[in-house]
Amino acid sequence: MSAAESATAIHRNQVDLLDFIDWSGVECLNQSSSHPLPNALKQGYREDEGLNLESDADEQLLIYIPFTQVIKLHSIVVMGSEEDGPKTVKLFANREHMGFSNVSDFPPSDTAVLSQDNLKGKPVVVKYVKFQNVRSLTIFIEDNQSGSEITKVQKIALYGSTVETADMKGLKKIEDH
Amino acid sequence: MVLEATMICIDNSEWMRNGDYSPSRFQAQADAVSLICGAKTQSNPENTVGILTMAGKGVRVLATPTSDLGKVLSCMHGLEMGGEMNLAAGIQIAQLALKHRQNKNQQQRIIVFAGSPIKHEKKALEMIGKKLKKNSVALDIVNFGEDEDGKPEKLEALLASVNNNDTSHIVHVPAGQNALSDVLISTPVFTGDGEGGSGFAAAAAAAAAGGVSDFDFGVDPNIDPELALALRVSMEEERARQEAAAKRAAEEATRQEKGEEAQPQSDSQNATMNATEKASDPMDEDDALLKQALALSMNIPGSDSSAGDAQMSEATNDDQEFALALQMSMQDGSKDSSAQSDVSKVLGDQSFMSSILSSLPGVDPNDPKVKDLLASLPSQSEPQEKKEEDEQPKDDK
Repeated sequence: MSAAESATAIHRNQVDLLDFIDWSGVECLNQSSSHPLPNALKQGYREDEGLNLESDADEQLLIYIPFTQVIKLHSIVVMGSEEDGPKTVKLFANREHMGFSNVSDFPPSDTAVLSQDNLKGKPVVVKYVKFQNVRSLTIFIEDNQSGSEITKVQKIALYGSTVETADMKGLKKIEDH
Repeated sequence: MVLEATMICIDNSEWMRNGDYSPSRFQAQADAVSLICGAKTQSNPENTVGILTMAGKGVRVLATPTSDLGKVLSCMHGLEMGGEMNLAAGIQIAQLALKHRQNKNQQQRIIVFAGSPIKHEKKALEMIGKKLKKNSVALDIVNFGEDEDGKPEKLEALLASVNNNDTSHIVHVPAGQNALSDVLISTPVFTGDGEGGSGFAAAAAAAAAGGVSDFDFGVDPNIDPELALALRVSMEEERARQEAAAKRAAEEATRQEKGEEAQPQSDSQNATMNATEKASDPMDEDDALLKQALALSMNIPGSDSSAGDAQMSEATNDDQEFALALQMSMQDGSKDSSAQSDVSKVLGDQSFMSSILSSLPGVDPNDPKVKDLLASLPSQSEPQEKKEEDEQPKDDK
């Protein structure tokens, strides 16, 4: 999979994991229906500053992202506005179907408190050792910068590398040449 | 066909003893619950349903979400009424039960039967609603029974705080003639969110409302497509036959008048006949068919219904007037002699017939065959042999 390690990586050997997201299983709790998760995750939408992911009933968001293969997560970028952008972000690796009620049941794999620099695009390096074998990632946004009712996220990008796993969906018959 | 786990919250408080819904509020509620369980399970076999009661000593979960319909229905037996309904606790415990469902891929839904007065404040209900929305739980509220001041507003506020993209609904059922279940069947509570109705719901609606259904023949094409198709086809055939018969009757009336005069050359009649025959223009390939039709009309009564019917069904598809002509000839063959003689009189009028035939594109009145046929028409004995000669192997008698 050396093709995966392209020159556009932020850090050495790290790639944007956008291609390895299993879109059929992506979920987001408490998102506003007019401002859903693809606005922050998908190529093109996330670059558009007018399109944000917004929370609905309160300021918390719970995002579940499964991957098509096992990855190692190196860093994440979370971009948002100064006041409504996220502040405390907790990451859980390999926990399925979490709800707001059990976010406090087990410790997160990593926690990040975002600064203004982070919100402008500076990546947050995560504890690499905890994310060596990640099948799915849950991002819990606990609060936002100004404590307002609605959290707005403009972009979420994940950087890391892949482990040599077989992507079952990509299995194709080998042709004899 | 949404994959869903549903918790139904039943009100078994003292207020349910009231008889303003027949036979009693509690019984009406129980019927509605069993119908809902059936509908949910039928729309998707992997759906699960659970039940809890909100009144009595406290909120009690009778069945956790399960796809076993028998277990759910048996829980409804032997329920006792008493106490006061605790709506907030009921909804929260339902949410908890849904959280621990086995199949996490199922959407979460709570259906609440609110029959007694609500003692909670609107604010508290809104908080609960927000929590439900945050955890993407949909809520259906059935407002029936006690009609207390402020109850509808509280429930509407609760719905507004839960509702996300119209997945949640509220239904107000006033007391009266209609059973609770009948009213519910037509609501989104049963039919799901704009799916167009599961087959179960539609069939139940047809049965319950006494044949008032969306489908023409009281048969749901989803349930029985062949029957629905057969009914539709026979209805159309019957309609076509009736139209043809009506037209034939009208035409015959005209013909009878004109046939009595020896002057069939009147413009109006010509026009009518021409119109009829012109419309039969697809007869160009059917020189033979024309002969056959004419011959049939001279035929022994009652012998040709099968051929006539075959002709009829073909004709119905193509051309109504052609069908009329054929049917006329067929019917005349089998009708009583008075009509027959009238028609024979008309047909026997050679000049008239030749004028008609000349209007047909494929027929040349000077053609010897046609002349022979014309000559054969007036007499009834001859056409038997003529028929044998003239008719081509197409004869399918």
